[in-house]
Amino acid sequence: MRINRTRGAAATAAAATTALLLTACGGGSADAGSGGGSGEKPETLTVAAWMDFPQELLDGFEEENGITVEINSFPDGASAQTVLRNGLASNGAGLSDVHLVELDWWTEMMAVPEDWATLPEVPGRWVDWKQSQGTVDDEIKGYGTDIGPLAIAYDAELLAAAGLPSDPEGFAEFVGGEDATWDTFLEAGRQFTAASDATWTDSVTTPMQAAINLLPAAFEDPETGEALPLAENTAVRDYFMDFATAAEEEVSSGIAIGHADWGAGFQSRQWATVITPAWMTGIIEENAAGITGWTIADVFPEGGGNWGGSFFSVPAAGPNVEWATKLADYLTSPEAAVAMFLENGQFPSQLEAIEDPTVSETANEFYGGQTVGGIYGQLAADAGEAAAGGYRGVNFAGIQTLVMDGLKRVEDGSQTPDEAWDSVVEEFDALGLTD
Amino acid sequence: MASIAAAPRRPGPTGLRAVTRRASRWDVKVSPYLYISPFFLSFAVFGIFPIAFNVVVAMHDWHRRLGKGDFVGLDNFRWVLEQPAFWTSLQNTFSIFALSIVPQLALALAIAAVLDQNLRTRTFWRMSVLVPFVVMPVASALIFAQVFGQFGLVTPLIHQLGLFEGVDSPFYQERLLSHVAIATMVNFRWTGYNALIFLAAMQAVPRELYEASTLDGSGRLRQFFSITIPNIRATMIFVVLTMTIGGLQIFDEARMFDGTGTGGSNDEWLTTVLYLFTLGFGEWPDRLGQAAAVAWLFAAVIVVFTLLNFALTRRIASTKAPRTKIPAAQTKRLLAEKRAAAAAAERAAREAGVPTLVGTVSRSGHPDALPSSPTPSSTVPPTASPTSQKGLDR
Repeated sequence: MRINRTRGAAATAAAATTALLLTACGGGSADAGSGGGSGEKPETLTVAAWMDFPQELLDGFEEENGITVEINSFPDGASAQTVLRNGLASNGAGLSDVHLVELDWWTEMMAVPEDWATLPEVPGRWVDWKQSQGTVDDEIKGYGTDIGPLAIAYDAELLAAAGLPSDPEGFAEFVGGEDATWDTFLEAGRQFTAASDATWTDSVTTPMQAAINLLPAAFEDPETGEALPLAENTAVRDYFMDFATAAEEEVSSGIAIGHADWGAGFQSRQWATVITPAWMTGIIEENAAGITGWTIADVFPEGGGNWGGSFFSVPAAGPNVEWATKLADYLTSPEAAVAMFLENGQFPSQLEAIEDPTVSETANEFYGGQTVGGIYGQLAADAGEAAAGGYRGVNFAGIQTLVMDGLKRVEDGSQTPDEAWDSVVEEFDALGLTD
Repeated sequence: MASIAAAPRRPGPTGLRAVTRRASRWDVKVSPYLYISPFFLSFAVFGIFPIAFNVVVAMHDWHRRLGKGDFVGLDNFRWVLEQPAFWTSLQNTFSIFALSIVPQLALALAIAAVLDQNLRTRTFWRMSVLVPFVVMPVASALIFAQVFGQFGLVTPLIHQLGLFEGVDSPFYQERLLSHVAIATMVNFRWTGYNALIFLAAMQAVPRELYEASTLDGSGRLRQFFSITIPNIRATMIFVVLTMTIGGLQIFDEARMFDGTGTGGSNDEWLTTVLYLFTLGFGEWPDRLGQAAAVAWLFAAVIVVFTLLNFALTRRIASTKAPRTKIPAAQTKRLLAEKRAAAAAAERAAREAGVPTLVGTVSRSGHPDALPSSPTPSSTVPPTASPTSQKGLDR
């Protein structure tokens, strides 16, 4: 008896230990560990994203395929990015079946293209440059959702109060009309700031990013992928000095989107304009709820541009790759794109959807009854292929943050434009990227 | 247990019995380790292994997704030491730490001292002190960020007072003020928690000491500094050490202080752990090696600083009652001298025919007699009381 008991106890202890360790090690990867995708029909598919989906759209997929779609909703792109980052680094643990991937961090996520299922071609669905953005080594890794044609949103009431043109045509002329450049935009800003208590724009970092997006090789050499020496980067430096000088003259409030005070700034009418990619229209609407006067101008410096836009991609390690691909296809169909536009203002990258009268002719209540979709469609057409943007390598995001931090230091008054540029170059050199 | 202890005494180690005996012996030797093994095994897997593996990472180029790259030796360490941001982050960390540890210790001690009195509805007060601790650090950071924001509660007040007039959002633009704001969040969270730990220690201080000193006419304040503080010395050391280690690792509050979470455009509130995070898990996909190097360098800093604080706390907690170490031999000698003197006095008194009380001196080693005893306090330190000695061992 005694033998049994003691041995039993030892065995139990050992078993308990093993069990504990096994559970501890196994946690977290259970849902994605198997991988591959047997093609067997799952009950639900999960989608990681950070915008609102029209419920009818999700119900539609369930009706068609008998699979419920569950949205893993994130408060913003950055948190979805973190989850994706960690998931890819740990063999797909904790990932959803379908992920929304933002253009700004597309390069990072595609470091290993095999992480992502290759999607079948859907000819003629998207504008060409959107489809090529979503293609890695001739394999389609993402189905385009929206694009971010750029416009200027402005507070008509603030402009009227400053005695400046507040109707869309007059405003367009005021910032430079057809031939608008960043210089004419900032010049208009100086005039406005002189005549008003508010500032011209929320933050100069936003137009700076819009300008950088259009440079063919902003920070890195497209041939080698190596970082370019920032001290000799005159294109970036020129933009930096233009915006920094304006910031020093307090043309901007220094509160960009993502800043804790951004919403409060709208509510207290701190600024008159915001550089607004199409996807931002919905976000402004939320933050400026109750404030009348916001209007979209059909004009943009340097012939227009594009900021962001996303893709639906399918992690290859997921258990339901086949069905997830089907869902990604469904969610990026022109019909889905129209529904998404109505829900949250995202401008479609799908040709058919762009031409759909629902997109181009729906009046937007918040923006004073303007047909926002039509305006963005025109701006996207004007920008053309240039909207595809320049080369983004491994270090693009990191270097861009250094530069933007420099601008912010001028905006908050802690450095002059020259000091700020020098310190940005100093920090860049300390990184040793160009040694 | 009884059966195990009895087993080896059994006679006749033959056959089955020998097996039994051997099993029992193994049981005695091995089982205890098996029982405690779950903790140590999981500690090895989740504690030791990552720490050791970190050395490997720190010695290589390491991409977040592609994993190990070239072996670079100590290059990552050199690289980190060359980054201005690393040094800024160290300054910020220590500044925030200093701004939180001092008010926190003072407040926690004061609150504990008040709670140590005979209050009505004691439990209620003690529970209330712990409420901020229950709030998630991220949640409290979000709320405080609203309070300190440009359009928040505090900023307009400051502007109305005529301070920082040219600065729109002083708590986000002035380095020191951002540290004050973050330290406030830390203090909000941890003061009550530390107060409760101090309270527990204070309640173990023998009440006789207070009674005796009250009889001697010492006030509350004097009692606090001369009795309470020296007697909770061990706890003070414990709290200061955990505060040092935890305080230097500050991350949540700094990360949540603004929308981007990268420590401000001028690295105003970039703490070292936040710097580590932005390097390894932020916008640079291939800097895990450098992040690991930051971890090691910072661990070294924490060890050094903790030892420093340990030494400092030992001194602070004992200044009011200098702990002159008295060798046992000296104590014996003093006692012998006293006894001899007493005996001599007694003898002399007996010879003179006068009754005396001097004999009690021989028992004066009891600490309770000390505060009122004419013996100089340096002879036998008050910390030698049995209760506080127990406290020390913790």
